[in-house]
Amino acid sequence: MRQDSLQARGVSVEFAGLRALDGVSLEVVPGEILGLIGPNGSGKTTLVNALTGQVPIVSGDVVCAGETITGEIPRKIALLGIARSFQIVRLFGNLTVRENVETAALAKGLPRREADARAEELLDEFHLNQSADTLGDALNYGDKRRVEIARALASEPRFLLLDEPAAGMNETESDTLLDMLAMLPEKRNCGMLIIDHDMPLIMRLCHRLHVLASGRTIAEGDIDTVRQHPAVIEAYLGSDAKAADHHA
Amino acid sequence: MTSATRSSVIGTLVILTVPVVLALVISEALGIRVVDRIATIFCINLVLVLGLQVFMGNSGILSFAHVGFMGIGAYASAVLSMPLQMKGMALPELYPIVKAIEISPYLGMVVGGLVAAGVAAAVSYPLMRLSDAAAVITSFALLVVLHTIMVHWHQMTNGPRTLFGVQSATTLYIAAGVAILMIFIALIFRESRTGILLRAARDDEVAAGAIGTNISNMRWRGFVLSAFMAGIGGALWAHFITSFSPNAFYLKETFVILGMLVIGGAGTVSGAVLGAFVVTAAFELLRLIENSINLSGVLPTQLVGLTEIALACAMIGILIVRPSGIISAREVAFPDALRRYLPGTHFTRPKQSRSADEGGTQ
Ligand SMILES: Nc1ncnc2c1ncn2[C@@H]1O[C@H](COP(=O)(O)OP(=O)(O)O)[C@@H](O)[C@H]1O
Ligand SMILES: [Mg+2]
Repeated sequence: MRQDSLQARGVSVEFAGLRALDGVSLEVVPGEILGLIGPNGSGKTTLVNALTGQVPIVSGDVVCAGETITGEIPRKIALLGIARSFQIVRLFGNLTVRENVETAALAKGLPRREADARAEELLDEFHLNQSADTLGDALNYGDKRRVEIARALASEPRFLLLDEPAAGMNETESDTLLDMLAMLPEKRNCGMLIIDHDMPLIMRLCHRLHVLASGRTIAEGDIDTVRQHPAVIEAYLGSDAKAADHHA
Repeated sequence: MTSATRSSVIGTLVILTVPVVLALVISEALGIRVVDRIATIFCINLVLVLGLQVFMGNSGILSFAHVGFMGIGAYASAVLSMPLQMKGMALPELYPIVKAIEISPYLGMVVGGLVAAGVAAAVSYPLMRLSDAAAVITSFALLVVLHTIMVHWHQMTNGPRTLFGVQSATTLYIAAGVAILMIFIALIFRESRTGILLRAARDDEVAAGAIGTNISNMRWRGFVLSAFMAGIGGALWAHFITSFSPNAFYLKETFVILGMLVIGGAGTVSGAVLGAFVVTAAFELLRLIENSINLSGVLPTQLVGLTEIALACAMIGILIVRPSGIISAREVAFPDALRRYLPGTHFTRPKQSRSADEGGTQ
């Protein structure tokens, strides 16, 4: 394991007796894009929540660049350079797009002028200039997603965790997003973890994959290794078969 | 603050000053005592409502304690500025040290604000970790505590009895001047680092935490500034009314100030100004009607409480139609076409605003 990476070490999380994560170990390295995949309810969001301090960890450790941050509150973890987006978008609805992006830089303690400048840059980069003065609540879904990512980047994170950033976007929107995301880790020297159900998107974007099923790691490695992994095939086919049963 | 934000703050300030200036001009033109009185009351109410907006509007947390801080400011300024020869009569049990002090009532107003802010700073930190219902009920508890202290601290407040002999010092000009200053402070605070982060936490606490916002600290700052403004408002009121008892700073006043803010729209400074203006005007009009009906004797019984009932109904009505008040999320803005005429701003079209920002001064 590398010194400068973000690591989950045997992390377990429980909800009222239900073991949502069971001894999961994962590593995000600066400069790489790691895809976190798995059927619905397999614990992907819970893992991100565990990394950012949003849910308590029963056992195991979270380590960021050598520093153990297990049990820290989300604010402290954010200030250490771990930024995230949420599966269900969480924007500041009565703040303008510009203010939304600026908040993360301000919370980090940047002087006002620098925070302004950084927000302005990100608005440019994410093609949000047109709606800079629109309130968060008034945006369409795709724009909300982009603002949330721009906001996460405004804190200049070392690690960026994105929970289904392309969900609900149309094809053009998600293609544009993919192009933007693909360049991020190198350009900003951060490690990126991305959860998504869109397999073609994940395959094109990610350097490595990590697969969860029922709260356990069932496979990890480069794309080809994972794609041919029997457990992965089984988990996906299995869950599809179950879903089909369910609908029938 | 970007130059675009700065110019819009100035634009909003100019518009929001209009009702205050209007009150002043009308009162001067008419020269009628009752109009001067109503205009002054409007300005004082405005200071109190703006103070409440600073905390409640930006944090989204309903605070009942506000009027308690108004009381602290009122008593602090009234007692400290009371003429020495009056003190023996008005406050027989007053501590000897305080008995020897007599400061100008204008200095008293500032001190009143500072004392209120000091008390708020000392007691509120643990409360600022709370949200939702817990925060509201603890703020109510704080009001009860402050009220009980005012009622029982005979040495300083004359207990539950009326405190007489407070210096008269609040003229319409002073009240209007302070009101305009407070509009400015509220607008600046809203756009400040603390203001933006406070509003962010209001909109989504989880997301605000996830970007590293120290939410309780931001709330605390807002609360202390809010108490400072309430203290000054209380002192202004004390030197206007010149005799009062602790009951002036309790549920009825809380309801009136809260009503003004909620009707106007707590989320904006514009809402606070509009609410104070509309409700003060309606209140005084209704009181006039109530008094003349009672004087004329057309009704077999005396009419009482018309004003409170009307305010309550207006509040219910507006909250049903517009739950966030009349002006909810955006401040009133100066029309773009006229912005170039504002003092101290160089309005630029949005496309050029980036280069303007880089050249702007902070
Ligand atoms: N706050 C919670 N309370 C109780 N159970 C939860 C909570 N969050 C997630 N779970 C459960 O934990 C499991 C994993 O959920 P989640 O991490 O959201 O899965 P994924 O993101 O992979 O779809 C699911 O069974 C879900 O029902
Ligand atoms: Mg999920």
